[in-house]
Amino acid sequence: MMNLSWRAPVTSVRRASSLLVHVVLIGLGFVYLYPFLWVLASSFKSPGEFFESGLSLRPAVLRWGNYLYAWETGHFSAYFLNTVVVAVGVTALVILISSMAGYVLAKTDVPGKKLILGGMVALMFLPGGYTIIPTFDLVQHLGLLNTLWSIIIVQTAGGLIFNALLFLGYFLTIGKEIEEAARVDGASFPRLYLQIMLPMARPMVATVALFQFMANWNSFWIPLVFTLGNASLRTLAVGMYAFVGANSTGWTYVCAGAVMSILPIMLVFFALQRHFIEAVAGAIKG
Amino acid sequence: MAQSALLREQARPANRAHESRTMRFVRRHGWSYLFLVPMLALVVPFVIYPLVASVEITLFNWDGIGHPTEYVGIENFVRVAHDPLFWSAFKHTFEYAAVLVPVQLTLALILALVLNNPHLRGATVYRAIYFSPVVTSAALVGIVVSLLLTSLGQPINQELMRLGLIQQPIDWLGSAVFALPTIIVVGIWHTLGYNLVYFLAGLQSIPKDLYEAAAVDGANAWHRFWDVTVPLLREVGAVILFLAILGSLQVFDLVLVMTGGGPYYASEVVSTYIYHFAFTAASVQSQANVGYASAAAFFMGVLVMGLTGLQLLAVALMRRRRTEIIG
Repeated sequence: MMNLSWRAPVTSVRRASSLLVHVVLIGLGFVYLYPFLWVLASSFKSPGEFFESGLSLRPAVLRWGNYLYAWETGHFSAYFLNTVVVAVGVTALVILISSMAGYVLAKTDVPGKKLILGGMVALMFLPGGYTIIPTFDLVQHLGLLNTLWSIIIVQTAGGLIFNALLFLGYFLTIGKEIEEAARVDGASFPRLYLQIMLPMARPMVATVALFQFMANWNSFWIPLVFTLGNASLRTLAVGMYAFVGANSTGWTYVCAGAVMSILPIMLVFFALQRHFIEAVAGAIKG
Repeated sequence: MAQSALLREQARPANRAHESRTMRFVRRHGWSYLFLVPMLALVVPFVIYPLVASVEITLFNWDGIGHPTEYVGIENFVRVAHDPLFWSAFKHTFEYAAVLVPVQLTLALILALVLNNPHLRGATVYRAIYFSPVVTSAALVGIVVSLLLTSLGQPINQELMRLGLIQQPIDWLGSAVFALPTIIVVGIWHTLGYNLVYFLAGLQSIPKDLYEAAAVDGANAWHRFWDVTVPLLREVGAVILFLAILGSLQVFDLVLVMTGGGPYYASEVVSTYIYHFAFTAASVQSQANVGYASAAAFFMGVLVMGLTGLQLLAVALMRRRRTEIIG
């Protein structure tokens, strides 16, 4: 119904209603941004300020000491490093492994292809979240419990099927000509993939990288379960959860920790916002 | 090009003809299989095996240490079915979905219709702002909002008391009545952006000339919405609904960090119920019972799978109807 407005002449009524729309949209925008601005402001406050002027977005002074406390005493330095290792590691592995599989499934007639594809599609529709117990058991038997590898491997495995299907779809859109020309020039199979096909799939690599990084930076359930026995392996989200439990009064430190967890991913989002949203929109059309 | 490839084939050394069948197969498909190995090596043990094994574990009384030995048959399922706490968690999960999904999707659709106006200034900025909580984890958002409520809850309470709507201040996350609704509100806020962007994509896929044709026919904005937008948005809408229901039935992070399922199980959902039984001894049981938790998980998994099947069917039906409309 909004497609109408450009037909109608601009009247004062229309101008007033457009103003009203903006007022509502800005109000809602405030509801969306306030919690983030609030946690940023609170992370610089003193405990007294936090309770007395709790809703204010302007701390009296910038107490960077809160960050220092969270970073050192609150172990956020370790949590931060763990999260970077997990997010970067899983992202790299998922891109490499799923693009390799997607390439083979798109471009070759390897026997068993139909079976593998059928299995992948079936697995897409099975619920994943309810199998944590045998996964935990398996990781334990493999001796991987209490290592960052457990998180990296389990999360990589969980991300492979969907992304391999994405890569498969992308490689199908690349014409045969380039591949054949390269083969005539004597390019071997791995070279063809690594130096020609993968660079051509750069837009898909970027999309998968963005979403894998975000998902793994934020993941909670798997890091929570796999670090129950070793606090030093916690990621930021899990560390925050533990930090809240352990600091029932040090809320300003908790806020500093929250900012350290949220800010990096928020910066990535606002820098690449258009790409992010277009990729999400593309998912529903496909 | 095909010709030059053919020439190369012929130019290969003559001993190729004597190559064994296996060698030829390896030469032709070896690399392909090698490229599939990493995926299969991770998916088979960490995705497929747990699916199968989770069924087996449900048949044992097992604390998660060593191998399960005490076979109990379907006893775990019987106990789950008789546990009022499971059913209350089950009820909370569906309440969460039943409130969150319609409210969130209605809001998202209205916002999408507003932001889809090509003459609205700053539409992309609004869109980015409403989307931004999506990129942060539910766990962190839950923690931040819980903290915020310690400050924000007070003025809200004062206002409500001033208006005479309540007699006593409400402890938003500490009260059995308000804990779950508070979590639902945060849930609606957190993931609205996904559905907004999905709906916007759906709206943009509707051919513009259909609106023009309807306008020529004298249909007003309301009729164009009901006769063009709604029927053509139905398919995308069904997918959005499907994803929203599935996502909300699996709610875990928000509940765990905001209330831990409390107070007194008032906001316990199925996933936190499973977590408590499988991984903590802090639940009613004195020790973890992994077999029991698996039975509850399996029950929920089958239910979610059934819903998935139903919805896929619905989407397929709608796709056919959309094709009929556009022609």
